[in-house]
Amino acid sequence: MKFAIALFSPPHAPSSRRALRFAEAVLAGGHEINRLFFYQDGVHNASGGVVTPQDEADLPAQWRAFVANHRLDAVVCIAAALRRGELNEEEAKRYGRTAVSVAPPWELSGLGQLHEAAQQADRLVCFGGA
Amino acid sequence: MATLHLLSQSPFASRLDSVLRLLGPHDGLLLCGDACHALQPGSAPQQELERLPDSIKLYALAEDVAARQVGLPERVKTVDYPGFVELCTHYAKVNGWL
Amino acid sequence: MAKSMLLISRQSPWGGPGAREALDIALAGGAYELPIGILFLDDGVFQLLPKQQPAAIEQKDLGANLQALPLFGVEDLYVCRQSLRLRSLDGQPLSLPVTPLEGPELANLLDRYDLVITL
Repeated sequence: MKFAIALFSPPHAPSSRRALRFAEAVLAGGHEINRLFFYQDGVHNASGGVVTPQDEADLPAQWRAFVANHRLDAVVCIAAALRRGELNEEEAKRYGRTAVSVAPPWELSGLGQLHEAAQQADRLVCFGGA
Repeated sequence: MATLHLLSQSPFASRLDSVLRLLGPHDGLLLCGDACHALQPGSAPQQELERLPDSIKLYALAEDVAARQVGLPERVKTVDYPGFVELCTHYAKVNGWL
Repeated sequence: MAKSMLLISRQSPWGGPGAREALDIALAGGAYELPIGILFLDDGVFQLLPKQQPAAIEQKDLGANLQALPLFGVEDLYVCRQSLRLRSLDGQPLSLPVTPLEGPELANLLDRYDLVITL
């Protein structure tokens, strides 16, 4: 089956780790992930600016490795990212900001990508809250 | 000396009641994270879960039950992540309560 | 044929960005002409109260975006009667034409949609 996975919670929330372990199990089970979509506070999982204590799970790094290793389509909602200070180079230039925290493999795009993924997948699974 | 308490969150916060209100007769409910505290034997939430018809299947994510050392009622089946994925393929759609 | 999506909007209008961000998903879906429905549940019912004054807390008027829903083709709007009742709002005028549902009607509503997102 094809899974679209959406994440709404920030990296330190248990649901973010849960989403990643679920995504890993999806691929390990022989299924596909047609898109990962990060929305609301989930955009922070794509941040290159998060510094995790050495003795804690580094979710942004783990997500980045997962996406890169499996060449997944990983989209971060641009409106949600901007208001939370997660900008790629293009947006930082556009708005005159010095901090660039989003880079490939993450792509900033709109909610249309969430809808497209949901339409094309067999299952849409959303993670967030706690 | 008296204390001023500051409260900013809505008093109408319970998710469990809302989930139970929306459950269809053949739906499943998978408890993860702190929702596993609803399994606490003898608690009001656990009693509410017990009252659900047998046609509604109850599951709990094994790692969260283990982390919290919660007692597991008989009707609740634990699943690992592969089991979680399989449940998603078994039901027609998945509703994540945030 | 496009899959239908039900958005369950549970958050109050002024308690954080959740209500607006749920609405944005609905409006985006409507813009792509997808079949979208919204169920206002729990504190989400507070979004439906007329004559709110968000400017008093320096927030934008969510009501204007809600009124835009039919313009985006999103007309299947529902409200949980029990949520209204618990908040003593049952019977009060609401700012959108919503169909009240209760009991098994809620589960039936979910069954009618291919996709669901609860925010």
